Amino acid sequence: MSVTLADATTTILPLRLYATLPFWPLLGALVVGMLVVLRRKASAAHWPVVLGVAASAVLAVVLFLDLRPTPSSAVSSPAAPSRAAPEPPSLLGRGQGEGQSAHPPGALRAPGLTYTLYNWISLGDQPSLRNQHWLAVNFYFDGLTAVMLLFVTVVSTIIVVYSIGYMRDHHGHPERGYERFFAFLGLFVFSMATLVLAGNFILLYLGWELVGLCSYLLIGFYYPRPSAAAAAKKAFIVNRIGDFGFALGIFALYWFLTAGADPLVQRGENPLDYATVFKCVGALEPWQITTVALLLMCGALGKSAQFPLHVWLPDAMEGPTPVSALIHAATMVTAGIYMIARCTPIFGASPLALNVILVLGLIGAVLTATMAAAQYDMKRILAYSTISQLAFMFVGLGCRVPDSAVFHVFTHAWFKALLFLGAGSVMHALGGVIDLRRFSGLRHVLPHTCRTMLIGCLALAGFPLLSGFWSKDELVHAAFERHPVAGLILLATAGLTAYYTFRMFFLCFHGKLRLPDDAAHPHEAPLVMIAPLWLLAIGAIFAGYLGVTFAAGGDSFLGFIRPHGVLHDYLHGSTIGAPEHGHGGLWLMYVSALVALAGIGLAWARFGQAPETDPDARALGGLWRLWHAKYYFDEIYDYAFVRPLRNLGRFFSATDDYGLDGVIWLVAAVPRGLSFLLHFLQRGALQGYALGMVVGLAVMLLLWNWIGT
Amino acid sequence: MPTLLIAILTLGAVGLFLAMPGGRADTRRVGWVVLAAAGAVLLALLLRLVPGADPRGLFAGFALVAVFAALRVITHGKPVYSALYFILLIFAVTGLLVLLEATFLSMALVIIYAGAILVTYVFVIMLAQQSRPAPYDVKSREPVWGCLAGFLLLILLARQIELFLVPAQRTPLPAPIAEAPGTIEAVGVPLLTEYVVAIQIIGLLLLAALVGAIAIARRRPTTRAESEGDE
Amino acid sequence: MLLPYLLLGAILFVLGLIGFVTRRNLIIMFLCTEMMFQGIILNLVAFGRYPLKGAPTFDGQVFALFLIAVAAAEAALALALVVLLYRYQGTLDANAYRMLKDE
Repeated sequence: MSVTLADATTTILPLRLYATLPFWPLLGALVVGMLVVLRRKASAAHWPVVLGVAASAVLAVVLFLDLRPTPSSAVSSPAAPSRAAPEPPSLLGRGQGEGQSAHPPGALRAPGLTYTLYNWISLGDQPSLRNQHWLAVNFYFDGLTAVMLLFVTVVSTIIVVYSIGYMRDHHGHPERGYERFFAFLGLFVFSMATLVLAGNFILLYLGWELVGLCSYLLIGFYYPRPSAAAAAKKAFIVNRIGDFGFALGIFALYWFLTAGADPLVQRGENPLDYATVFKCVGALEPWQITTVALLLMCGALGKSAQFPLHVWLPDAMEGPTPVSALIHAATMVTAGIYMIARCTPIFGASPLALNVILVLGLIGAVLTATMAAAQYDMKRILAYSTISQLAFMFVGLGCRVPDSAVFHVFTHAWFKALLFLGAGSVMHALGGVIDLRRFSGLRHVLPHTCRTMLIGCLALAGFPLLSGFWSKDELVHAAFERHPVAGLILLATAGLTAYYTFRMFFLCFHGKLRLPDDAAHPHEAPLVMIAPLWLLAIGAIFAGYLGVTFAAGGDSFLGFIRPHGVLHDYLHGSTIGAPEHGHGGLWLMYVSALVALAGIGLAWARFGQAPETDPDARALGGLWRLWHAKYYFDEIYDYAFVRPLRNLGRFFSATDDYGLDGVIWLVAAVPRGLSFLLHFLQRGALQGYALGMVVGLAVMLLLWNWIGT
Repeated sequence: MPTLLIAILTLGAVGLFLAMPGGRADTRRVGWVVLAAAGAVLLALLLRLVPGADPRGLFAGFALVAVFAALRVITHGKPVYSALYFILLIFAVTGLLVLLEATFLSMALVIIYAGAILVTYVFVIMLAQQSRPAPYDVKSREPVWGCLAGFLLLILLARQIELFLVPAQRTPLPAPIAEAPGTIEAVGVPLLTEYVVAIQIIGLLLLAALVGAIAIARRRPTTRAESEGDE
Repeated sequence: MLLPYLLLGAILFVLGLIGFVTRRNLIIMFLCTEMMFQGIILNLVAFGRYPLKGAPTFDGQVFALFLIAVAAAEAALALALVVLLYRYQGTLDANAYRMLKDE
């Protein structure tokens, strides 16, 4: 039990109470599991998880208030002076060499609080660890933790409440597996909270894998359906590919920090604690940092479904809709962004890794946005939009503004959860139909859903003054500072985002009322589903204002709002530090607002009446078909990786069946053949045996004679 | 001498093979002639080996009778005759035991073997008697291999005995046991002192055999036809 | 004096053995084992009477007595079995009893 105090300590509640945060959902999940074992009534099985997740949400809110940044910590941050003197935006942006000098080696520190639960893994008797041989289960609290936990737990709570209504049929009876679903939800929130709170890389990896496991369990919730089972497997395996790199990155980090006669890690320090790593990382060779950063990035690519490894996320729609909302908004995919933001001291020291992240983010943003523009499955459109938005965040991370990336994660969580739950409400009303070609004009049938969905779509499209606008604009801004081409790509993608978002919205809610045959009497969802939608809608509108401040001045949007708020103060007090933000391009805000409006307007022009045939399909022709087929990524991967691997597996299997088993068969055949020869002697005749004994005795005597003489 | 011995024994093997039941009557007769020749030469040889004069004639006689009886036991086609020739063999052995000054043992042998065991054998033979000679009595089983292996063993044993006794051959004969040659007392005292544990165990063995024999005899076996019918 | 007795014992033993191997009647086979016992009894007593070293002893005769007891036990069991087998299959042919043959 050791508490390291950096600048401040908690005042409202003791730190050990905050450390219980992840365990309330776990407790709820265990209680539900016990109920399953005891075969209690299923219809009340949601209560333990709802209470557990709500408890953690309350703790997270209090923690957020408790960890509020003090003015002293903002002043003491080393990059603060440079923020006061913004540079004019240049074509090249900040040079790489300059960026490194912004984080001089050894200057970074871990400005958070560490709470050690217990000693976990013995590291043996290493000379560098004479005083402390343990890797601890320790939690790390700083501004980043507070921000992440805030939306993870609160959004999760709302989603869990929504699930109470969603996971029932039209008569209000729970679906099959209702208890199992809630147990997994609790486990999911526990995993994500552990991931966010982890104070060292091993615990981070544990949470990382737990999240992957929970996604597997929940995507495959309808496991009797083959497509669901396949999607669960796909999610798990694609994540494994990334996690392999992540694990290698942790190994490399440990090796670099502890190898040699004079290791970087001092006595008594645990080599994988954040505090130690971020203190020592500046002293590593550049190639070592780049290696570690690129390997860690692989993990983020898998978990956050970025460009080469993005294929699992659209298929994850096979799970129940609240699961999609949970994965896309609160948990799972945000983990990759969080990890890179948390490891800013590592990534910031490796320009190469940042450039790779930037390029991958740009590619992913464009690719997935175009894919989303040619889909008909509402949930798939939302899934591609998630990947696209995460790619925006990657661009932000690559442009050295992790605080903006985390800000976008924060706002994105609200409106993406809202959109998914709204889509779930549509599904609920239409009996599971989600194909946009089969229905339209639902605005009068589902009034609440329509209104909340409109808010969510506006936020996603970057409509001015809604939450998505503020955070997306920061990212676009940073990209422009980094390189104008990157900025233009992001801006175009933002417009495309607005376009496909409202394409979906208009196709669903506008035009004349059309219903699928198997859902003749659609109805609005019950209160337990509508209330979460409105809560999230409030979040989608106002969450952005945590990242802006009201201040009159020349460099502010609409004359009174400055894009730098309390959230940034939180993040600057964390391991992210305070990156530089250019403030010269205020015109960009107006431009991006115009782009968003233009996208919405274009969508209205083409889809405002919800035409039954898609005008884009005719207008774009082959390009549209390419988008619709998702650039044939699945097929390419199938040919390039899956089939060769499967053939390799068949080859190994055949080697086992015929090669190894053949050898074993041969080994077994030798004694069998010998015994076949001998079995002629076993004739069952008593006198034959006696004769054999006589001959044997004679031979023995003969031998004795021969040797004796 | 070894070559001579080997020749004699080979001759005996051939004779025995010819005399085995199953062949034609004239070949069997030839076999007996060969056997008689081999026996005569062997006897001459044995007599030459035995020094001194007194027991020589008696030993030769008993030995002759014993070998002849043994041959008849294994060559006779009728089981009852085999058993009777076995009794003759017992008497011959008894004579030899008397020559070896084992009087008590010789009497015991006559009483137990000839009187008890052989009578049982004869009973069983009578029990399983069939009206005609059984085919398994008329024809022997693989006489070539049996004779070959048996006489190979005999040659080797003889060679072994000879090698073994070459040093002992020249030593003078030990004197006869003067005071109590082979009486009950002479045998009984070591039997009940030195070998008391062994005799207990032997008693136990006899008891077990008795119980086992009774247990076996009490079973009513299903005949082969019945047991196959059950399956 | 020892040599002729040993040779005679060996001859009786081997003749009994040949009989055991070649005769097919189960009773005769057991009779032949008794014959082998006779050869051995002769051997034992001859060794007792003419030991290779020292004075003659009665140990050979004692062992011969044991052997007679063993022979009696064997005869009792063997004949019981023969009777059983005869009742089972109606023949005393040793070739008829080869149920342990490996097919």
